[in-house]
Amino acid sequence: MSGQIRPRRIAGRMGLYFAAIVLAVYSAFPIYWMIVSSLRPTQEMLMNPSLVPQRWTLEYYTSLLAQTDYPRQFLNSLIVAVTTVALTMVLSVMIAYGVTRQRIRGKQMIIAGMLYAYMFPPLLLAIPLYAMFSVVGLNDTLLSLVISHLTITMPLGVWFLWGFFKTMPFELEEAAMVDGCTRLGAFLRVVLPLSVPGLVTVAIFAFLLSWTDYTFALVMIGSDANKTVPLGLASMIGAFDLRWGDVMAGSTLIALPLFAAFLALSRYFVQGLTAGAVKG
Amino acid sequence: MTRWLLPGFLGVGVLATLLLIVGPALYAVSLSFYDMPSLTADPVWVGFAKYAQVLASAAFWNALWNGIVYAGLAIVLQVVLGIGFALLLNQNFIGRSLLRGLAFLPYLLPTVVAVLVFKWMVDGSLGIVTILMDDWGLPPIYWFETETASMVSVIMISVWLWTPFVTTTFLAGLQTVPGQLYEAARVDGAGPIRQFFHVTLPSLRPILTVIILLRGVWMFNKFDVVWLATGGGPLGATEHLPVLSYREAFALYDIGSGAAIATLSFFVLMVAVAIYFRVFPMEQGK
Repeated sequence: MSGQIRPRRIAGRMGLYFAAIVLAVYSAFPIYWMIVSSLRPTQEMLMNPSLVPQRWTLEYYTSLLAQTDYPRQFLNSLIVAVTTVALTMVLSVMIAYGVTRQRIRGKQMIIAGMLYAYMFPPLLLAIPLYAMFSVVGLNDTLLSLVISHLTITMPLGVWFLWGFFKTMPFELEEAAMVDGCTRLGAFLRVVLPLSVPGLVTVAIFAFLLSWTDYTFALVMIGSDANKTVPLGLASMIGAFDLRWGDVMAGSTLIALPLFAAFLALSRYFVQGLTAGAVKG
Repeated sequence: MTRWLLPGFLGVGVLATLLLIVGPALYAVSLSFYDMPSLTADPVWVGFAKYAQVLASAAFWNALWNGIVYAGLAIVLQVVLGIGFALLLNQNFIGRSLLRGLAFLPYLLPTVVAVLVFKWMVDGSLGIVTILMDDWGLPPIYWFETETASMVSVIMISVWLWTPFVTTTFLAGLQTVPGQLYEAARVDGAGPIRQFFHVTLPSLRPILTVIILLRGVWMFNKFDVVWLATGGGPLGATEHLPVLSYREAFALYDIGSGAAIATLSFFVLMVAVAIYFRVFPMEQGK
């Protein structure tokens, strides 16, 4: 409006865009560098590297997929994550629905137990689980890893869906039951379809936790055949002949599914975080 | 069928809670009262001997202190940066939604990847940070060789990974603050800084209390960043309770001591949380 405010506003806008660029570089440059390093030929890497590669190569990806255990590890990670997600959804839907709809004393204990589980140090769960799996002969199996992951993903699923079901009016199911639905029918045909947004959020974060987990995999898995990708990547650091190109290719591949999911479902990620349903 | 559905669901809930949470936790505590040189050997009851041994060791107090430094600094930096980023992302500018997406990305990365990329970027000969610092004539930093630098490195990696949590939750909170409050503050002559301290912060105090609590608990329990980046070294400079507990149980095969450390660290956390609730009471009825 008036003459003196203008230059100050322009300076303010410039400051804003400068801060935006700083934030963009801070957040995205390491990820950009990871991807670029996985596509840059070795000779170029050894010379003074430019920000954008002069030449591109897929040699690391082909050697990673053809000469290492990476494909096997990727498959293991996928099996563990998908199983964990499926079991988390089934268990947490049942528990959260039961807790919100049934009137009995002591059910708050389940919710309280879930909250305490939030605060457990990972080793407080990993040590006894490891000992228990050794006793029953489940140690060093993918199933042991799934069960370990459930100790984190189930509490977060119950906690999140509990908040979700609480806000869903009882009248919905009652109306359906008056119309002749059984309780199971009302649950399957009315409650579940309305819970899809909550279920998607739970599935996303259960997948994220299981897919990125290193701690439980380190404790539970011993043999090369059962390693998941985080464990496999970590063991590359200690290797005698450290090939950074391979490591960055492996890192890019494990991150890609997460980036793709975020691109498609970003609002569920934000919803999950703001509901405080997440451990990380 | 209709009558048994809900009790059935609750039964599954009780069973799952007992098997997955209560059982292992109690078992961990009971393991801390036994000496078990290997998992096949018969455990020997030793009472509180493991606790006495752990509490008398310098390694425990060193790890407790390192954990407080690591978690404390990481939380302060995450919260300050996260609030700053959220305030920025709440402004109107071109490319804002793209930047909101970019600012979230680090949170998606597996810890292993973040640690590996950091190590690659500061690699002594080929790392981009090393090369740039050399070009600008800065002295090299030995990121994982000295005690202070190692602690700074693990804190930096953690802050980078988990600031998006604070940014996103605080930004969601900012969008709920009614615009009239700012209008009123402006009419009263408050500048942007006064508005932040007298309108924004008080309105978001409940959210901020929860954010700090959650991040505090998770940073105190965080195992993988430190283990992957430094393994607790050099000379125990970054060894905190989770790493010490892991080392006792799985490198020194002293399951009892590992369980005792994990139990003690849970108690420390409970005490800290109880104090936190006293100082910053949560709203009632939530």
